[in-house]
Amino acid sequence: MERVKTGVPGLDEMLWGGFLPQTANLVEGAPGTGKTTLGMQFIYHGVVACGEPGLILTFEEFPHQYYNDAAGFGWDFRQMEREGKLRVVMTSPEVSLADLEQVGGRIESLVQEIGARRILVDSLSHFERLSEDPARLRSIVYGFVNALKREGLTAVLTRESVTLLGEAGGTDDALAFLVDSYILLRYVEIESAIRKALLVLKMRGSNHDKGIRQFEITSRGIEVRTPFEGREGIMSGSPRRMADSFMQAFVRR
Amino acid sequence: MGEMELDLTGRLMADMDPKLLEFLQMKVNSFVKWDLIRFFHDNPHTTDTADNIARYAGRSVEAIRTDLAELAQDGVLEENQLGDMTVYSLVSNRQTRELLAQFVKASDDRQFRVKAIYHIIRGTRR
Repeated sequence: MERVKTGVPGLDEMLWGGFLPQTANLVEGAPGTGKTTLGMQFIYHGVVACGEPGLILTFEEFPHQYYNDAAGFGWDFRQMEREGKLRVVMTSPEVSLADLEQVGGRIESLVQEIGARRILVDSLSHFERLSEDPARLRSIVYGFVNALKREGLTAVLTRESVTLLGEAGGTDDALAFLVDSYILLRYVEIESAIRKALLVLKMRGSNHDKGIRQFEITSRGIEVRTPFEGREGIMSGSPRRMADSFMQAFVRR
Repeated sequence: MGEMELDLTGRLMADMDPKLLEFLQMKVNSFVKWDLIRFFHDNPHTTDTADNIARYAGRSVEAIRTDLAELAQDGVLEENQLGDMTVYSLVSNRQTRELLAQFVKASDDRQFRVKAIYHIIRGTRR
């Protein structure tokens, strides 16, 4: 089966080769866990390794913020824009939604102009201000996600998590049902130190690694490491307490 | 306006690129427009409502609404209806975009900035 590789070492293996084409993939985490970095890495890898131009749709950060953050990893987004392989579009959820509903709207034109195959939407959380009614919000996001798929895009959608540590939350919310895959990024406290953990919670139409893995944001981007289970005894010498931490981070009581 | 002030204005504007001078005189006649021009230069793919653009620019919508509309009338921005929303974006015309880029680059130079500020202040006094 064809796969859309994220370019994140370790994650593609967890996804059994990558995302499925033309799917919506949610990456949820607390501030600083690396959601946007993962999304930028997905876009960068598409351009340089797969010949797949990309779009970044931002509802909050200015484009120069992405250029600067990407440059920190050695990814020259400005050059990619000059070469017509990337477009960073700052807009609002209501305008992007109305634009995608139109025939020949701006986003559709940009997709065609550069031949975009990938998109990072940063972040889906901003749609929440469009409606306080969960059913209406679900309908809005459903339309938005379908419009992206209609354009032939494989999407990474970020979403902010309100909790820094502890309960994952969100696993029973409506938006989780609309996406094809659901990746959780979490801070985990182990032995008075903060680590980062990644879990692929759901992947529609494909098997995937169910393990909880440690990951790091390195100078080259995100790198997913070996499963925590394998390291428990080695790193802490306190297997039971570490297992409890992960249970608290990912599982609702 | 005194003869001395006219003379100073003339000297200040004399060595400015005629195209930029015209752009400054005809399109950029307020500090809000200057901010908006820089914003759209930095965010060339933005399409959004006056409310959201005001938020991005850190101003109130009342402060920018008129200037946005005037920039659209002057051919710097496009004004379109998207459903029930009025949205603004940078024109796709390459010449206008290049001129805008020249203006933004020139305004990084202190000498140019001083002249441009002087021009705008004079304009608001009229």
